[in-house]
Amino acid sequence: MDNSNSGPLVIVRDVTKEFRRESFVIPVLAGINLTLDAGDYVALMGPSGSGKSTLLNLIAGLDRPTTGDVIVCGTNLGSTPEGALAKWRANHIGFIFQMYNLIPVLTAYENVELPLTLTGLSRRERDQHVKTALEVVGLGDRMDHYPRQLSGGQEQRVSIARAIATDPTLIVADEPTGDLDAKSGGEILELMRRLNEDFKKTIIMVTHDQKAAARSKRIVHLEKGVLVNELSEAVATKGNS
Amino acid sequence: MKSLKYIWRNVRRNKLRSLLTMLSIGFSLALLTILLGYLAMQDQWGNEADKHHRIVVMSSSGFAGAVPISYVDRVRGMDDIESCTPFSWFGGTYKEQQMAFAQFGTDPKNVFQVWSEYVIDPGQLKEFQSDRQACVADRRLASRMKWNIGDKIPLKGTFYDVALDLKLVGVFDAPQTTDSLWFNLDYLSELLRAGGREQQSSNAGTIFAKTKSPGAIASISKEIDDRFSSSDNPTRTQTETAFAQIFTDMLGNIQTFILIIGLAVVFALSLVAATAMAMSMRERTTEIAVLKAIGFSRWNVLIFVLGEACCIAVLGGMVGLGLGCLCLQGLHVASAQFFPFSVSEFAGPWMLSLLGAAAGIGIVSGLVPAIRAAQLSVVDGLRRVI
Repeated sequence: MDNSNSGPLVIVRDVTKEFRRESFVIPVLAGINLTLDAGDYVALMGPSGSGKSTLLNLIAGLDRPTTGDVIVCGTNLGSTPEGALAKWRANHIGFIFQMYNLIPVLTAYENVELPLTLTGLSRRERDQHVKTALEVVGLGDRMDHYPRQLSGGQEQRVSIARAIATDPTLIVADEPTGDLDAKSGGEILELMRRLNEDFKKTIIMVTHDQKAAARSKRIVHLEKGVLVNELSEAVATKGNS
Repeated sequence: MKSLKYIWRNVRRNKLRSLLTMLSIGFSLALLTILLGYLAMQDQWGNEADKHHRIVVMSSSGFAGAVPISYVDRVRGMDDIESCTPFSWFGGTYKEQQMAFAQFGTDPKNVFQVWSEYVIDPGQLKEFQSDRQACVADRRLASRMKWNIGDKIPLKGTFYDVALDLKLVGVFDAPQTTDSLWFNLDYLSELLRAGGREQQSSNAGTIFAKTKSPGAIASISKEIDDRFSSSDNPTRTQTETAFAQIFTDMLGNIQTFILIIGLAVVFALSLVAATAMAMSMRERTTEIAVLKAIGFSRWNVLIFVLGEACCIAVLGGMVGLGLGCLCLQGLHVASAQFFPFSVSEFAGPWMLSLLGAAAGIGIVSGLVPAIRAAQLSVVDGLRRVI
């Protein structure tokens, strides 16, 4: 199921996505083509309702395309059964959410350990992973704190630690700074830059924030379900020819 | 991080809701505990009786009918009978206390041969046999009533219109609490005869007999009933176990009625618990979506939710079992004549079945929320946040 090291890490090919609400069919994505290489840091931008989160969900294996292929780490997600997809996500994807989404009844340590319980790691190995991840995000001294005892920025850092603890192939982040003040947001963006540059993590991030997008290596714009920059490139190519 | 730890933390997440759900389950199961405990106690009574191969001769008309005192010697004379004694319920009041303890008129010469497992000091037994107004009591009853040897114990009849003026001459030790006092039936008969109640004075009430072997019970019971079948007072002879069962059967319809009400309450509270679980899961939609997003399978989620529901229900069951047992123990202390066994004496698999029922309530109450959580679309669940 897994890919080899050659070729793009993410291939989105001729993808459309429609939602059905009673008798209505709502087209959300139309003919999306996108590739991400290992080590990329892509910001996905666009107005509300443009399909950013839908595209992110497809790449993260949370949803399936109506037509077309989404191939991530060599796995065609559209044809992978639900049970296998859950396991695949556990092995390959790290999630960072806008609202952090930590489990309130678990400590920072336990939240980070949560995805590791799905792996075959021993208790000692899990402990090493958790401590390393929390050290990376600068919260080595807050392991026993519950989410309610942390600030928003600290909660998001725990969320990032949870995302990287399993050493995933791809990190997907949905508005990771959307609920933070400027200072905390800046710290999170700096952390993500380090993850990409120092730890060679591939990141795809949905954001409305131009400053956040500017920290990425590549910005992709979506509008009304269409990738406008890719479209621009296509138009440019057509124009040149 | 173990799944159990996560389940336990979720149980404690909303302490008040969990506590109220536990208590609602607990109270309904306490009701069932009392009912099942009572039935288990009756079984225990029967089991104890089986060890001593006693039979009970009573009127075929039931407790209202008479067993002539002359039957005692005729039963005693039968081949397979080791010993027998009349045993007549008196049911008097003691110092204005009604049904304070059980009182039986009996034959002091034979009663401790029929209940050969009961222990009494030989000197005290001799005095019991020689003094018409003497009585003996269960040691635990004497202790509860703060009686000493030599104390006068006045009993005023309710069924019999006579007053007994008894003197405590001894105490006996029984394997289980009997909460009873025994006096000489001849003393009662004399008083009744003096009062012109000849018919009552010749009534043995019931006859308890010890057979020589357990194998003889069926044949000797039939022989006794056959012997008196054509008399004015035909008898019904049965084992002591079957005799004990009569008291349970007396509850017959009430017992079924209580059981039906108990089960209805349990079912209703399962729905209450299901509502609580459904509310809890609804509040955690996003959290469940996150769990699934990071790789937990539908099966994992199902186990988490069912585990939480079962944990709450089983804890509720333990509360109910505890409460029910406390009530049964309280009844034993307050009225050992009707509840002769301490809870520890009839504890058994019925308790586990109650905890199993509690787990069943957990599964029933958690099933729908668990399936809904397991089937939750990750995207729909996360949409609340994204």
